Amino acid sequence: MKLYDKADLPKKVRLSGADCFHLVLDKHAKKHQAGGNVMRKIIYFNNALCPDTINTVLQSSLLIHWLCNIELVPGSLLTIPYWKYADKGNKITVREHQHGVADELPAGILSRDIPVNADVFIDCDIVHYPSGNCSLVISWNHILMDGKGNSLLIKHLDAVANGEESKIASFFPAREKKPNILRYIINMYQVKKFVQDSSKRPISSVADKAVKSASSTAYKTIHFNNEKTEKITGNAYTCGARFGNTIFYIACCAHVINKLNQQRGKNGVIWLPVPYDGRLRGATGPVISNCVAFLFYRIPQTALTGIRETVKCISDQMTNQIKNKRPQKYTLFLNMMRHLPLGIYYRFINYSSRGVFASFLYTSTGENFADLKHLFGQQVRDITILPALTFPPGLTFVFLKHNNGLNVNIAYSPDIVTKDELFDIEQKLQQLLLNNYS
Amino acid sequence: MDGETIIADIKKYIEKNIMAEDVIIDAATELQDAGIDSFSIVEIILFIERKYGVVIPDDKLVPENFRTLQALSSTVLELI
Repeated sequence: MKLYDKADLPKKVRLSGADCFHLVLDKHAKKHQAGGNVMRKIIYFNNALCPDTINTVLQSSLLIHWLCNIELVPGSLLTIPYWKYADKGNKITVREHQHGVADELPAGILSRDIPVNADVFIDCDIVHYPSGNCSLVISWNHILMDGKGNSLLIKHLDAVANGEESKIASFFPAREKKPNILRYIINMYQVKKFVQDSSKRPISSVADKAVKSASSTAYKTIHFNNEKTEKITGNAYTCGARFGNTIFYIACCAHVINKLNQQRGKNGVIWLPVPYDGRLRGATGPVISNCVAFLFYRIPQTALTGIRETVKCISDQMTNQIKNKRPQKYTLFLNMMRHLPLGIYYRFINYSSRGVFASFLYTSTGENFADLKHLFGQQVRDITILPALTFPPGLTFVFLKHNNGLNVNIAYSPDIVTKDELFDIEQKLQQLLLNNYS
Repeated sequence: MDGETIIADIKKYIEKNIMAEDVIIDAATELQDAGIDSFSIVEIILFIERKYGVVIPDDKLVPENFRTLQALSSTVLELI
């Protein structure tokens, strides 16, 4: 394995607008005791991984070294928050666990927080199961990296394992262009107005601001085999989704949540932000920093009469927002918000959203993992992502495709969704995805 | 207007606005393999509609027509 020169690492990396938004979410999660802002990726193998091999790969990665030796320097009125790197000799620890229940994770991993004042911002766990299978769990604080960044990190680690070189420059965000201040301000008002109009009341959320969650996040994964996944893809097209399956997935989730809301006597609009990857397509970086903007979908009851109607409603909004360059404008807006002190930023977000961030949250990894069949020389059986749960709404759907099979992960707070309600959500979602649409 | 010109136009747009600098595509490259996702497809369609003054009808919005630059070009040629 090639050893890199630590002197090449940047001493200072400024947080992106989306990173700073995650700082706000982190503060919000703490306030609601809803667990940390930690993302976890689980990669399942049919064989046992050798911890020494994984440890050697991780210790050889300059990027992992950087992640273990940074600290967050908060912003002020004149400065933007940034990551300060100094080689303190911190190293990632590979923790091993034995667990009796196949493919499940020990509670200790799920409840482990990686706070903003942590010494090391990335964790690695290997879980061995009685069958001889194992899972590799990579956990990180969401302020540092988004899901796409993590998939690029996994590719980098595989390259390290294979003795291939990675470009250090591709790890970190490029220097930002300085925007025109007038454009900055006009953009701010435009985005603020758009988001306010889009999220106009009444919005029905799974959870409202009055509920305080004290329990940790729970997860439920639904697996669809290749045959069922193919049927779902066919259904997406039949229902009018012309640009991939995502809109169909969102439409099905919206119907499920609308039904749940109606059972609870709520009949408002469904409103949700959906992440949009701001990286250039095919890029190998940046790994560090959240590069997501959002598209905002407002789905009134009139568009919830059938899946086709919902798909059309979302599709029209998506096209309009892309046409009007909303994601790029939102990124510029978030970049501007970095200049606000965290406390004021937090109050601003809470005031504009009145404590409700969305009806529910949705994210999809697209084709990021579709072809990840081998890692560290071992065959990958399956992949799952456990998202950091934003509260409220306290319910997130994650759609992930691997090896032609679809996994849907539902992350929820048990204080928000009861066992019976979760069962209904699962049943209804499967029924809508697999329905015989004609 | 010929197919080669349309391919060159769309390629130039994608390289300038959508793809990373070091990704090389040609007429036969599978666009999804090169990193083009559903959002990018929408951007490409909007560019085509703007550039050639056509509206891509619903029945032409099928994955086969967006698979490669060659396929996109053939679709545009059928519409102009």
